[in-house]
Amino acid sequence: MNTPNTPNDPATPTPSITPPSAVPGPPPPLPAGLPADAGIAQVLEALLKHPLQLVMELQRKGSARTAVALALTAFIALAVYGVIIGTFSGGSQLFLAPLKVSLGSVVSVLICLPSLFIFACLAGAEISLRGLVGALCAMMALTALLLVGFAPVAWVFSQSTDSIAVMGTLHLFFWLIALAFGLRLLTTLMSVWRVSDRLHLRVWKFIFVLVCLQMTTALRPIIGTSADVLPREKKFFVAHWVENLFRGARTSSVAD
Amino acid sequence: MHFASRLLVLCRGDSARIAPWLDERDWRWIATCALTITAGCALYGGVVGLWRAPTQALYTAVKMPLLIFLTCGGNALLNGLLAQVLGAGLSFRQTSVAILMSFTVASLILAALSPVALFLLWNTPPLASATRGVGHSVTLLSDVLFVAYAGVVANRRLLALLSRICATREVARRVFWSWLAGNLFLGAQLSWVLRPFIGSPGLPVQFLRDDPMRGNFYESVFNALRHLFS
Repeated sequence: MNTPNTPNDPATPTPSITPPSAVPGPPPPLPAGLPADAGIAQVLEALLKHPLQLVMELQRKGSARTAVALALTAFIALAVYGVIIGTFSGGSQLFLAPLKVSLGSVVSVLICLPSLFIFACLAGAEISLRGLVGALCAMMALTALLLVGFAPVAWVFSQSTDSIAVMGTLHLFFWLIALAFGLRLLTTLMSVWRVSDRLHLRVWKFIFVLVCLQMTTALRPIIGTSADVLPREKKFFVAHWVENLFRGARTSSVAD
Repeated sequence: MHFASRLLVLCRGDSARIAPWLDERDWRWIATCALTITAGCALYGGVVGLWRAPTQALYTAVKMPLLIFLTCGGNALLNGLLAQVLGAGLSFRQTSVAILMSFTVASLILAALSPVALFLLWNTPPLASATRGVGHSVTLLSDVLFVAYAGVVANRRLLALLSRICATREVARRVFWSWLAGNLFLGAQLSWVLRPFIGSPGLPVQFLRDDPMRGNFYESVFNALRHLFS
């Protein structure tokens, strides 16, 4: 990922992305929003290179188009990565895995949206719900785009191993890296919204990661195969992972 | 400012803007706080009780806000007295509003965490399963964590507000700790009286246990400790 917020024009003051101190100082100078007729390419470029431009855009009334573009990008990119996950088992998993990855991510975001809004307020952010939804769309879009970047590597490994444990660990590793960038973007956006207390944001990030991890178990199997589309047995993700790690190499597992 | 939008200011803990609300005579702000507490705690309580049974969810949805209001009401006189004795310069009305606002913040946090609690519930072994003990423990533990977090944050907001309106930080601290101790002491006992909130797997679903006033919270903790170390 490029360094966020790299100025194109040397004369333009560089917006600060350093974490604010306990007492927030004056807000950093902000760039202008995106042009009114910005296409998807410009939105994605801003997402990767100038996230603060996106902040300005998402704060603006009538920015729903940008948020929708980001949400669609996230959904499609996650589905693409889901297809790559599905290639490990093939068959019905080729369409079930992308469906589960995309919808699971949407549900995770929806579950955590109310807590992020309240936690952001607790952290002192001057934020609107519209801006927050846009920020989450941006976070998910960036995460999903990075996952697509990892997709070729994941595909190579999925074709060269029979071990669900190895593939599960690899996908988890890629997802954690991608999400770390997504969460970093969220932190950057929050610093613009004058977040004075980052503890709440950290707590929210922890909750979000837990919800996403549990979602992988709630929607299993995503990598392996099963007679059932969704599991009948309720289980926590740690127990599920430990079971699979000790089960060893298998191409098919009802519990995966 | 619209009363609903004040809730966001309350969450942000902007003491400079919150402090003047204590002097207002408008009952609508108090009503907004009371409604928020009712809705937020009922929502969260409903989710927590749902693990045991839908009826328990309904009972807990009623009892959670009730617990807050009974604690506020039961300690209103004591808290007002303490505020005056310790030199905070707050009236009984201002004291009650300050504490009500603190509980409002906690309720908003609990309401915001309700979808997470619901998701957790969806993944918890149900009552009918062989591992229902795990389900009960997970529900209990997560409930403790969520309520503790909401409580800590709400009290931090209250301390910040007191620090702004009291003459010195020392006075603010004294008043805060005395209120907190009183509210915890009464709140713990009231939660004992109003039990069950989650509902033990082996006991029937009830609004209150038979003979709810029998025993107390502290006695049961003491007995549990004695049982543990004997």
